[in-house]
Amino acid sequence: MKNYLSIISVAFVLIIMNSFFIINEKEQAVKTEFGKPVGGPIVDAGLHFKLPLIQTIIKFEKRVLEWDGIANEIPTKDNKYILIDTFARWKISNALEFYKSAKNEMLAQSRLDDIIDGAVRDEISNRTMGEIVRSTDRKMEIYISDSEGENSEAYDNEELNATGARIDIINSILSKVDDKLLELNMGIEIVDVQIKRVSYNKQVQTKLFNRMVSEQNMIAEKYRAQGQGKKQEILGKQIQKEKEIVSGAYLKSQEIKGKADAEATEIYANTYSKSPEFYNYLKTLETYKKTLDPSTFFILSTDNKYLKFLEN
Amino acid sequence: MANDFNLGDFKINMQNSPLKHLKGYAGFIIAALFLMTSIYTVDANQNAVVLRFGKYIGTKGPGLQFKLPFIDTVEKVRVDYQYKQEFGFRTLRPGVKTQYSTRGYENESWMLTGDLKIAEVKWVVQYKIKDAKDYLFNVKNVENTIFDVSEAAVRLMIGDRSFTEVLQAERESVAIEARKYMQQLLDEYKSGVSIQLVQLQGVVPPEPVADSFNEVNRAKQEQETLINEAKQAYNQKIFLVEGQAEKIITEANGYAIERTNEAKGDVALFESILSEYNKAPQITKDRLYIEMMEEVLSNNKNKIIVDKDIENLVPFLNQKLNGAIK
Repeated sequence: MKNYLSIISVAFVLIIMNSFFIINEKEQAVKTEFGKPVGGPIVDAGLHFKLPLIQTIIKFEKRVLEWDGIANEIPTKDNKYILIDTFARWKISNALEFYKSAKNEMLAQSRLDDIIDGAVRDEISNRTMGEIVRSTDRKMEIYISDSEGENSEAYDNEELNATGARIDIINSILSKVDDKLLELNMGIEIVDVQIKRVSYNKQVQTKLFNRMVSEQNMIAEKYRAQGQGKKQEILGKQIQKEKEIVSGAYLKSQEIKGKADAEATEIYANTYSKSPEFYNYLKTLETYKKTLDPSTFFILSTDNKYLKFLEN
Repeated sequence: MANDFNLGDFKINMQNSPLKHLKGYAGFIIAALFLMTSIYTVDANQNAVVLRFGKYIGTKGPGLQFKLPFIDTVEKVRVDYQYKQEFGFRTLRPGVKTQYSTRGYENESWMLTGDLKIAEVKWVVQYKIKDAKDYLFNVKNVENTIFDVSEAAVRLMIGDRSFTEVLQAERESVAIEARKYMQQLLDEYKSGVSIQLVQLQGVVPPEPVADSFNEVNRAKQEQETLINEAKQAYNQKIFLVEGQAEKIITEANGYAIERTNEAKGDVALFESILSEYNKAPQITKDRLYIEMMEEVLSNNKNKIIVDKDIENLVPFLNQKLNGAIK
């Protein structure tokens, strides 16, 4: 008898326990009766009541959830193929509708794949490369190595001066996704869509790298040529300066010498003019001394003034 | 019977059980268990979020805290901690000489610039949890969300700047604006996270083109070297030439001094002889003449003195002269 009583009491406790459930702050739930949802979604956290055994509780996330797309290659309006990688954040806004149409997060993710990818594709194919990459119309400072233009296909001015529309594109995608989700009434609310990466495919990337390399090589060559040019310029200046200095010194030295010669001439003239006749005599004697050297052959007559005393 | 415990089909006879001795302490043990589950500590940099039956009832700061046992649950969050995420590289082993791994993160670090080139950007994000409740209850997997948002934000900013700007002048503003944009999105999600810092660690040309950029730097160096060498040669040569010019001028000055001194000397000599001459003109003239003759004739071997009356001297002289010349 006591045994039955204790079994009943244990069963009673279990039934009581089965009629309460806890929803925490991260969760929301739907109450079902044999698989059929009853009442509205349960959003508030706390202790809740249900009919034991008959009703089942299915819990869902209340928090913002992740969605990460795979990179899609999409042609732009100006016919360039680019890889667009987007991510989104969404949440279950109505657990009841969500339970009815999507059942679980996995299925919801794949529905979102279709909706978001479609919206992204629509938007991107309607925009130019410049609009997608840039977000404002601010003027960029671009170093162009050769102003004479080198216009490769992916490098024309139209793109460089493009008005960016990245933010518009994001907003437009978001509102498209939002509209679509409202229309489908899946109990899903899109919180945000962002373009994570915009990139070229491998092939275009390689071409771009080659272009960047050739551009850099051109710049390098320019520097080298400029260096050589500058060197020649300095050399030219050097020669000019050299000549300037040497000829200047020559000019000055000639002036100095000329002045000295003039001075000397003046000194001589001043003195010799006191007796030109004697100077003439003296100078002639001096020249005799120099010109009548030891090899001279003298034939002297005794009536010479010098030898006159020999004649006796 | 009072000594038996009924637990479903199990019947425990307390009299035979070793638990019998514990019976007296049961109340005490229950009280101890009760106390243990109602006391918890919150560390210095933590906040504790308290839930009652799953419902948020408050956030507790550091220290010894109480809760209702079994009914209240507690989740602790490190709020005063700087969390860090790395983009384009990963720290392998932090330390004095921190090791990084940079290979294989090109997907993260290579990004299009506004002029449609590719720059390699590595950066870190530091963040704090500013609201433990928001952090726990509003966004699932906040770390992934921060990562995604950071990639989108930095790429957005890089995409609006030219390659040259990104590498040089605009680095700072990219970081500042990316931080602002990230915070804006994370606040929209009510993530409870505060972005403390976005810092660009390295903005460089990607590895496949890096060499050509180094080449430009080398060319720049070469250019400078060429110019410096030319300038050096210029200076050397000019200094030398200036010295030579100085020499030419000094020599001219020497010549000038010599020339005038000689003139003065010559003149002084002449004047002294002239004064003698003026005193006795004929005698001086004779003396000078005789002195000249003495000097000239004393050095000379070829002298023939002929009497004024001798005739037919020429044939003899011819012979003599020929002999002398031979």
